[in-house]
Amino acid sequence: MRLGLKGRFVAFVSAIIVAFGVVLTALSVRAQNERLRHELEDRGKLLTTVIAANTADALAMLEVRELRKMISEARDQENVLDAIAFDEDGRVLTDGTVVNPRRHALISEAALRHVSGSQALLVEFDGDAMTVTKPAHLGGRVLGGVRLRYSLASLAQDQASLARRTATVGAVFALMGVLAAALLAEAVTRPLKEIIRATRALSEGEPAPRLPVRTADEVGELAEAFNEMTRKLRDTTVSRDYLDRVLETMGECLVVTGPDGTITRVNPAVCRLSGVGEDELLGQNCRDLFRAPKGHVSLFDALGPDGSAYGLETELLARGGETVPVMISVGAMEESASRARSYVVVAADIGERLLNERQKDEFVTMVHHEVRAPLTAVRGAIGLLEGGVAGDLGERGRELVEIALRNSERMGRLVNDILASRKLDSGRMEFHFEKVEMMPLVEQAIDSTSAYAAKHNVRFELQQGVPDAMVRVDPDRMIQVLTNVLSNAVRFSAADDVVTVKAGRHHQMLRVAVSDAGPGISEDFREHVFEAFARGEHDDWRHRSGTGLGMSISKGIIGELGGAITFETELGVGTTFFVDIPESA
Amino acid sequence: MASRLRLSLILAAVVACGQPSGPPPSSVATAPPVPAGVLTIGSVSLNPTQEYEVVRPFADFVAANLHQVGIGRGRVVVVGSLSKMVEELREGKVDLLIDSPFPAVFVWQHADVEPILRRWKWGSDVYRSVVFTRADSGVESVDELAGKIIAFGEPFSTSGFLMPKAALVSAGLRLVNYEDPAASIPGDRVGYVFSNDAENTMFWVLKQKVIAGAVNADYFEALAGDRINELRVLHTTDAVPRNVVCVRNSLDPKVVRAIEDLLLEMHLSDEGRASLERFEETTKFDRFPGGAEQDLARIMTLLPHVQDDLGQ
Repeated sequence: MRLGLKGRFVAFVSAIIVAFGVVLTALSVRAQNERLRHELEDRGKLLTTVIAANTADALAMLEVRELRKMISEARDQENVLDAIAFDEDGRVLTDGTVVNPRRHALISEAALRHVSGSQALLVEFDGDAMTVTKPAHLGGRVLGGVRLRYSLASLAQDQASLARRTATVGAVFALMGVLAAALLAEAVTRPLKEIIRATRALSEGEPAPRLPVRTADEVGELAEAFNEMTRKLRDTTVSRDYLDRVLETMGECLVVTGPDGTITRVNPAVCRLSGVGEDELLGQNCRDLFRAPKGHVSLFDALGPDGSAYGLETELLARGGETVPVMISVGAMEESASRARSYVVVAADIGERLLNERQKDEFVTMVHHEVRAPLTAVRGAIGLLEGGVAGDLGERGRELVEIALRNSERMGRLVNDILASRKLDSGRMEFHFEKVEMMPLVEQAIDSTSAYAAKHNVRFELQQGVPDAMVRVDPDRMIQVLTNVLSNAVRFSAADDVVTVKAGRHHQMLRVAVSDAGPGISEDFREHVFEAFARGEHDDWRHRSGTGLGMSISKGIIGELGGAITFETELGVGTTFFVDIPESA
Repeated sequence: MASRLRLSLILAAVVACGQPSGPPPSSVATAPPVPAGVLTIGSVSLNPTQEYEVVRPFADFVAANLHQVGIGRGRVVVVGSLSKMVEELREGKVDLLIDSPFPAVFVWQHADVEPILRRWKWGSDVYRSVVFTRADSGVESVDELAGKIIAFGEPFSTSGFLMPKAALVSAGLRLVNYEDPAASIPGDRVGYVFSNDAENTMFWVLKQKVIAGAVNADYFEALAGDRINELRVLHTTDAVPRNVVCVRNSLDPKVVRAIEDLLLEMHLSDEGRASLERFEETTKFDRFPGGAEQDLARIMTLLPHVQDDLGQ
């Protein structure tokens, strides 16, 4: 049987108490036995001494009749087995009896020698008795003496009685000690039991009670620590109910599988999307629910080394052979104890998104074919009119053609931007990377935009360059980005303003900073700067506004080139856009 | 060994003599009606209370068995001297006297009484005394005790004092009482002291506190023990009856006869033996084998030597 902490404590303390009690009792009994023995011996010695003193005169006068009376009285004393009076020769005068059978008998030689040379008591032990001899002297003359044989047998009875009493008292004290130990153990273990109960309740999902802190010792500290732990757990963890509620209400599908793909849990969204009940889904393999992503033989084949994957597009196999396009993310959970992996598969229905994509593509195709091509023809025709193919148009006619040309060009840019933006979104924009010098690209972009700037009486000033700095980019796309940034600066500059361009190195990147002295970007608009069709609300520059796609396209392109575009702005001071691109060695 | 046993019995009886007596035997008590006559037993003692308690049960027993002669009650009279006892007998106040031979003979000579029976005690009818000394004392006869001191037992003891003293005096020695055993004794006398105990007498001789001593011959060997060879017996006295029963002559002869018959047969019945044992270990009563005159003749001869010592 395994003893608990309390049992072990009680057993340990009891063992110590019992051992201590046994040793103490033994020592006590031994000491008291010695005391009893000494007391008994002292009584015998005292009695002998008194009798010897009383008999001295009778010995001196040889009054044997008196001696007989006194020795007879001595024999009647408690524990006296025998008594005699003897003369200086060691011969028995009387043993206190009338018959006196030992009359004239000699006492032992040792006793006689002692009597001859000493007045002290001679004590001889013999079994359960002792014989005490007390010499009687008078003026240096040996008169004889008395010998008492004194029983020590009562000592054994007294000692046994004493041992029983001591043992009883010891047992009572030991019992009290054990009870005290049990009470102490209970006091020590009761808080521990409360902690155990609270811990079990916590592990079973029940609300953990707050433990009372009764003492300021280690146990109190443990209770305080437990309370602190449960408080932090409440703050940092969610209950199972809470998690279940989240899973039930989340729109995405959540599937938990075992290491081999066996489904162990699904949320209601899975059932809704697949049309299959939870009971039916549990136990199925994940491959029966999700089609393998393109280019993979199974969903798990698409996972990375860490067992995770993000943004996998595939299809969920619904009841009746229908499929639902989904985007899947997979995370691996590794149980520390068994080292077995579980997987959490989150699938989002992307059917609507794909539909939108398709509609966008259809729109772009329509723009490309139905808008861009006719617009090209319109621009060509207007060009011909402007070139005088149709004869002199007159002042009014030239003004109208110029308006038509300017708007057709503007519409062409809009169409191009829309197409570029769509290509970026769909990932169909093509890039032709090559290693080129950075500064020629900057200068070329400035040149391309200079006419536009001059048109608005704005001047570029390249204030700093990074000669020989190399970048690995698609030069056309890079120029497109820089042109966008430069034209954007011109657009928000006043007439006669200077747009400064600086190229340099910044945090292991090549940076091109384009600064204008425009009004700055309002705080509300700053986070929308790189969104498609986003345009700043400012009356003075509305007529210069672009399509609203330029900065969005620039951010998308520079991202594909491995760089970034950011800005700093201050209202009333101006704005600086930073184009960062990795330097190529 | 036998003498040692007798001594122990004697001493035990002395110690037991103070015990109260029981009621009279039922066989006697049942004989109605109780006569009015009284039988008075006299005794001489300096310890009357103890003596009365010793004698009274015996008196009751005797009286209870003398109803047929008109005796219905026993009575005990204890006096302190022989002369008083003589007076009591003369006045008819005492009917019966049981005492040692010297007092009995003295009473016999001075009052109208008649010794009728002997009283055995501790199994013996007579006793003797021995006068002894250390073998190395240089004293080889009682005559050589002159100028020396001898120890006797108790003053009224027949065997311990009266008999040996009378014997020494009759041998021509002049005995004088001393208190101190170490007293200087003139050469024409023999000093004597009372040891008051036979054991004392023995040890005083052995330890040379006195030159000689006298004890009952029955106890001598027991007292000497294994040191008997260290002793020399100087004189052994003649045998004398242990005790003598005297009756007042004026007592009714029928009563006297009834008393004789009763006492002579007491030891034959259990009740009688029990009463005898309580009466100082009396063994039995019998008649003088040679007649009272003859058996007490030696006492009568010696009496003058110790008459002054009888406590008259």
